Amino acid sequence: MFSEKQLFWLEFVWAMTVKEIKARYKHAILGFLWIILNPLLQMLVIGFVFQFFLPVHVDNYFLFLFSGLLPWIFFSFTLTKCTPAIVYERSLIKKARFPREAIILSIVFSNVFHLLVSLALLLIVLLFIGKVALLQLLLLPIAIIWIALLASGLSLLATALNARFRDVNFFVQAVVPLWFYATPIVYTLDLIPQNLHALFYLNPMTAVIEAFRFALLGMPITQLSYWLVSVVASLALCVLGWVVFQRESKYFDDWV
Amino acid sequence: MKKKQIAIELKNITKRYVLHHEKPTFSEQMIRRSKKEEFVALDDVSLTIYKGESVGIIGPNGAGKTTLLKVIAGIATPTSGTVSVYGRVVSLIDLEAGFNPELTGEENIYLNGLVIGMRRKEIEKVFKKIVAFADIGNFIDAPLYTYSQGMKLRLGFSVAVHANPDILILDEGMAVGDEEFRGKSGERIRQFFKEGKTVLMVSHWLEFLEKYAKRIALVEGGKLIEVGGLVILKEYVREKN
Repeated sequence: MFSEKQLFWLEFVWAMTVKEIKARYKHAILGFLWIILNPLLQMLVIGFVFQFFLPVHVDNYFLFLFSGLLPWIFFSFTLTKCTPAIVYERSLIKKARFPREAIILSIVFSNVFHLLVSLALLLIVLLFIGKVALLQLLLLPIAIIWIALLASGLSLLATALNARFRDVNFFVQAVVPLWFYATPIVYTLDLIPQNLHALFYLNPMTAVIEAFRFALLGMPITQLSYWLVSVVASLALCVLGWVVFQRESKYFDDWV
Repeated sequence: MKKKQIAIELKNITKRYVLHHEKPTFSEQMIRRSKKEEFVALDDVSLTIYKGESVGIIGPNGAGKTTLLKVIAGIATPTSGTVSVYGRVVSLIDLEAGFNPELTGEENIYLNGLVIGMRRKEIEKVFKKIVAFADIGNFIDAPLYTYSQGMKLRLGFSVAVHANPDILILDEGMAVGDEEFRGKSGERIRQFFKEGKTVLMVSHWLEFLEKYAKRIALVEGGKLIEVGGLVILKEYVREKN
């Protein structure tokens, strides 16, 4: 079914992913606890502050926040870690020939793993308080694949450009916190004037976060027809990232 | 006579690098469309190396020897020209590239093996041999940062030589580890020559080349000046002195 080359590629990406996960938690005393601790702390702080001055009408603001923060943390961590990754791995790139995209994909997949762990914990809590929307849950795998594709595409693009122009990393670092507020994570879209909705959906993360909330909490989707914009934007970024990375990766050795 | 099989074929290889004086930035690129300063590292190099040949590459510093090896190893892509390499290339020049200090010796063997291009099954098959040859004993389960420099080098060397390379890239600075291991590694390399592997060597150490290389390629200023027998080496040495 697969050629020798494809099998090697799969093995290689897999091994790099396992390395990424292992190397990260080998010496952290709290180990895997950090996966969940980080979004939990963010939820507590943001939740505590924002519940006082945002008129968000949801049953439980903390659950609402948490279900949006998990995918956001996945996305922002992946992008900020991937962008300088090719430059950081220069010792490997200058010395060996291997599929370069494995560096990026291993970061994406290890973060997907973290996302799955924290989603599983969230689901346990939701089951406990009887909040799981069983039918909607079917959308969760699609939401995960969607966000993983979007993060990969953007990461491949950013890291390839960063190899050539080192300020791309600064740009990403500046944009990610702004992006957080441009995405309905701490607020809901119905707080925004309707004529601006299309603009919000140009940001694919809007639809992705909505997909997660629909799947986890059964929350309504503001403008399903606008999802098409987000889906197309995601796919376009994905293809663009892959194409640019493939073209640039041949010359990484020259630039790093 | 058996027809000679090609191991490496380079056709009109040119490699140009853009020279950077500062870190390249996008914002700068936008402000002034600066003219690119270019550096020609390889200039129209064509070279065919047959299976089982041992070729020494000589030339002054900055002549393009490293770039040539990088192109052959598939690390750098030439600006123009075609490269055909038949078989697995393993370089013994930098042995620690694929290592991660946080992972154990065992995990690093697998990781480094994959970086060289081995399949997992292949690594499993020679795993015991790799450990035995590297002689790292109980450290195999310890994270790599607890290893001494010599142990890391030995492990890297051991993985590389057990990767069953078709084409081997060597460097004169092959002084790996202590006296005993140097003997062992030297022996292993001599075995590769006996097995008729294709070997490329970069060296300033002329006795080494005299002993092992059958063909010499002289590179200067990015150009392949001459390819031929050991005579070239002798002439080169005479000119230099």
